Amino acid sequence: MIDVQDLSKDYMQKHKDPGLSGALKGLVKPEYKVVHAVRDLSFHIGEGEIVGFIGPNGAGKSTTIKMMSGILTPTKGRVLIDGRDITKHRKEVVRNIGVVFGQRTQLNWDLRLGESFELLKHIYQIRQADYDRTLDELDRILGIKEIIDKPVRQMSLGQRVKGDLVASMLHSPKVLFLDEPTIGLDVSAKFALRKFIKEINRVRKTTVILTTHDLGDIQELCERIIIINHGVMMEDGNLSQIVDRIAPYKTLVVEYYDEAAPEHPRCEMILHEGNVAKYRFLKNDLTAAEIIADLSKVKTIKDVSIEEAGIDDIIKVAYGA
Amino acid sequence: MGFAIIKFVVESFGEINGWNYGQLAFLYGLSVISHALSMIFFVQGWFMGYYVIEGDFDRYLTRPLGVLYQFFFTNINIFGVTDLIPGILVFIYGCVKCEVTVNLLFILQVVVILVGATLIRGGIYILLGSTSFHTRSAVDFGQYTQEIMDKTTMYPLSMYPESMQFILTYLIPVGWISFYPVSALLGIDSAYNAMLVPLITLGVGILVMLVAGAYFSMGLRKYGSAGN
Repeated sequence: MIDVQDLSKDYMQKHKDPGLSGALKGLVKPEYKVVHAVRDLSFHIGEGEIVGFIGPNGAGKSTTIKMMSGILTPTKGRVLIDGRDITKHRKEVVRNIGVVFGQRTQLNWDLRLGESFELLKHIYQIRQADYDRTLDELDRILGIKEIIDKPVRQMSLGQRVKGDLVASMLHSPKVLFLDEPTIGLDVSAKFALRKFIKEINRVRKTTVILTTHDLGDIQELCERIIIINHGVMMEDGNLSQIVDRIAPYKTLVVEYYDEAAPEHPRCEMILHEGNVAKYRFLKNDLTAAEIIADLSKVKTIKDVSIEEAGIDDIIKVAYGA
Repeated sequence: MGFAIIKFVVESFGEINGWNYGQLAFLYGLSVISHALSMIFFVQGWFMGYYVIEGDFDRYLTRPLGVLYQFFFTNINIFGVTDLIPGILVFIYGCVKCEVTVNLLFILQVVVILVGATLIRGGIYILLGSTSFHTRSAVDFGQYTQEIMDKTTMYPLSMYPESMQFILTYLIPVGWISFYPVSALLGIDSAYNAMLVPLITLGVGILVMLVAGAYFSMGLRKYGSAGN
């Protein structure tokens, strides 16, 4: 479905010394510094996959997604969607993609939502019957028709993002790009949005590529993640496998009756606060039951719980935090 | 306002560079009409820099239509009509004063000139606007362009020094917006053929547009969107 080959994007950044002399120098002989926003990314995404791009701010996620959706021209490499280069055949290829940026809108501020949809109907030359059917289907998932007569300017962020999602799906694209779609949304709007992504992926087999900082999005939606940092791919693969590999541990939380907590020879005590102690151990090496048994020989335990390693642990590793 | 000055000058000196009052009105009127048309269809070009730095081309780039096409036609400026009316009035006044015979050929010539002239103006807006892709700053070229265009299309070009005339004919071909076609149409200078010059204007218009389109596409490859 999507083939990304050696994708790179460089920016020229003007370097300027401080002060008046610096300003003059910059005027006469500007110095440029090349910034490598994205370097040699290659990967393949199959039809019907949901892939999450994660990485810290400025890692190159948005740049990548903008190159994949035809907005930015790559410095090197190419993006093939359904076998066709998006840079060379932009007008034809973008018919097969939908794009939503959480922080900007493709809707027209001055129009009612429905009018923006009508405009898109004409731009993509969607047949009336197809348009009606798609809109009905999307309405069933998102409940868009109750706000269809509302001017976009008066919408809440949640409503606007819903509107943007529907707008991006009207022409039934095979691929949907979402750049931080849940940013700034409340819990129920996030829930609706995730449900929508899952539904269109299930029913329409739409391939979804999203960037997000929300771990809930990843956990709920993505089987596969691609971690990018400093413009370079750090990880690409199945979410649970990556978790197992990067963070192959669990944490046992034990509460005692007083503040003294015993050490365990095969665990690392990562926290000891008041009556609570946290023990981190390798999943393959040890079971929680063994540790509890060992500890309870030394001291009476009041309560235990187990924390699974999760995406946040991977992110800490990947982001170098 | 501009025309009141011309009227004053002509009344004081009789004529400007061999152009009488009626001919000047004809020139002025035609120029204002093409200006108004360019304001209706191409005024967005003035604001291209803002689109570049705000990342507003993103939306156009993800749609299956030409970017320039969307840029101009989603923002047609109906208020440009306000310039159209005085332009037409002065032009009709000029026609009457010069006693031109209004027949089908004349109307056709004027239409061809106006299309060409509007394309030249629009192309220049696009060329200037597209520099923003390289400078990555939003300079509003509108005012400067307007100043230059007013001064070069509303008065006879022949009143400028020859070096200027050369520049305004071949490098920045604003001479073809009104001066050459009107000289030909009114038979002011027999060197210009009334059949040929309107077509040259159209040709220049198309050429400027093509160059502008190519320069814009080049710029678009450097388009950096906006960070978020």
